[in-house]
Amino acid sequence: MREINAYRCRRCGTLHYPFRMVCKECKENDFFEFDPVPLPRTGRIVTWTRIYNLPAEFEVPTLGVAVVELDNGLRMLGQIDIADPQIGMEVVGSVQVVRRDAYESRYGMVFRAA
Amino acid sequence: MREVYVAGIGITTFTRLEFPLAEIAAYASMAAMKDSGIDRFDHLYVANMGSARINNQSALASAVVDTLSQTPAGAERIENGPASGASAIKQGFMAVASGMHDVVMVTGAERMREVNNLEATNFVATLTHPLAEYVYGVTLPSHAAMFTKLYMERYGVTERHLAMVGVKNQNNATMNEWAHLQQPITMDGIMDSPEAFTNNPYVSEPLRFFDCCPVSDGGASVLLTTKEIAQSTGRPLVRITGIGQATDTLAVFEREDPTDLLAVRRSARLAYDMAGIEPSDVDVAELHDAFTILEIAESEEAGFFPKGEGHLALERGETEIGGKLPINPSGGLKGKGHPVGATGVAQAHEIVTQLRGEAGERQVADARIGFTCNFGGFGNNVISMTYRREE
Repeated sequence: MREINAYRCRRCGTLHYPFRMVCKECKENDFFEFDPVPLPRTGRIVTWTRIYNLPAEFEVPTLGVAVVELDNGLRMLGQIDIADPQIGMEVVGSVQVVRRDAYESRYGMVFRAA
Repeated sequence: MREVYVAGIGITTFTRLEFPLAEIAAYASMAAMKDSGIDRFDHLYVANMGSARINNQSALASAVVDTLSQTPAGAERIENGPASGASAIKQGFMAVASGMHDVVMVTGAERMREVNNLEATNFVATLTHPLAEYVYGVTLPSHAAMFTKLYMERYGVTERHLAMVGVKNQNNATMNEWAHLQQPITMDGIMDSPEAFTNNPYVSEPLRFFDCCPVSDGGASVLLTTKEIAQSTGRPLVRITGIGQATDTLAVFEREDPTDLLAVRRSARLAYDMAGIEPSDVDVAELHDAFTILEIAESEEAGFFPKGEGHLALERGETEIGGKLPINPSGGLKGKGHPVGATGVAQAHEIVTQLRGEAGERQVADARIGFTCNFGGFGNNVISMTYRREE
């Protein structure tokens, strides 16, 4: 199963998403001192929107995206496949193709109502 | 550190321009040279975000300096997203303040209409986090929309407040001959009439068409120099008194409070401290209203109104020309247009015009201290500046 990872600092334990090279908390500065930890799949919607002026490679008329607060407290952005999204709604995510261009398919998180 | 003055200003119409990008930049620069009566400079900074991507031209500054027949003056392109303009002014300021150069041309230029609207929106979206935001189809309007939803929930801002910003700024633009949008709009036409939501459809819920700035071409210039040279031009004296810059996380969702525009607050504070003034001293402000919500939020973070009360000041008419603190008399990005690299310089152009008392119909009475906020990314790289009219 494809995963999207958060990154745990080996020195102070702080979790980061997205990936960064230096820990936000302890400024750990050795290279590659992070352990990947799969992001939880469940959380609730912090805010969302439906986009009507998508880049041309999205062959759909509109697309929902949301910021979701995951169960471990990290937030992430993902697409949503929900008819009537609401702030605070509980959602569950799966990793799917979120964008296709001429040469590759890109994977990301898509959330549905829990 | 030497004091730095704006000796000349120049601008092009913000619209669709059928000229090569380097000529748009050169036109604005020539206008600034004409305005000041100075016909040469030591160095050129060109603010531009997209030349290599949307105009297929890299090393833009070399083309502009040569088009202006100013070789062998030094020239560089400054790219800092939508804050490129203020970044370039900051570089010009440092060059004059340090004593390295005496006369520096700062020109912002962008030619976005070379591509269609969807491609332009996609191009601007490349400033977002590549793996955590861009890949999902996130655009700048969608960032602003998600921010707006939270603002509505927390502070009681409504779609009507957003429309009020749009009406104010677009109608200010009709008094600005350089502005992109020259048609007045009404609350009836975009909110209340049966046709309103046909005229004003969603771009990204809850933001509508008239909440978003247009995609524009255009250029703007300021010629920076020392006090002695500025005095010799005989033009009114406007000094750059404060510059503040602050950054924030690239991924917007990673910020502790997603309704917080921390970089605006920090950059404004740094600018005020450098100038030795407080927000209450400001007479006129140009804020980065790429989306109507941003004018409301920035007016709070810049210290003009308490957090969560910007929309109430708007309701009271305090931000209109003639109000307590006129915001975006030029029309702002919303009305004047937003050629991304040029915007920060165009804000300076308007403030200098106002402080000189040369703004005609849209003149803010007795304006002596001006403020600009150039908002890069979605608040991840922000530059605030203060200007003062001197005798």
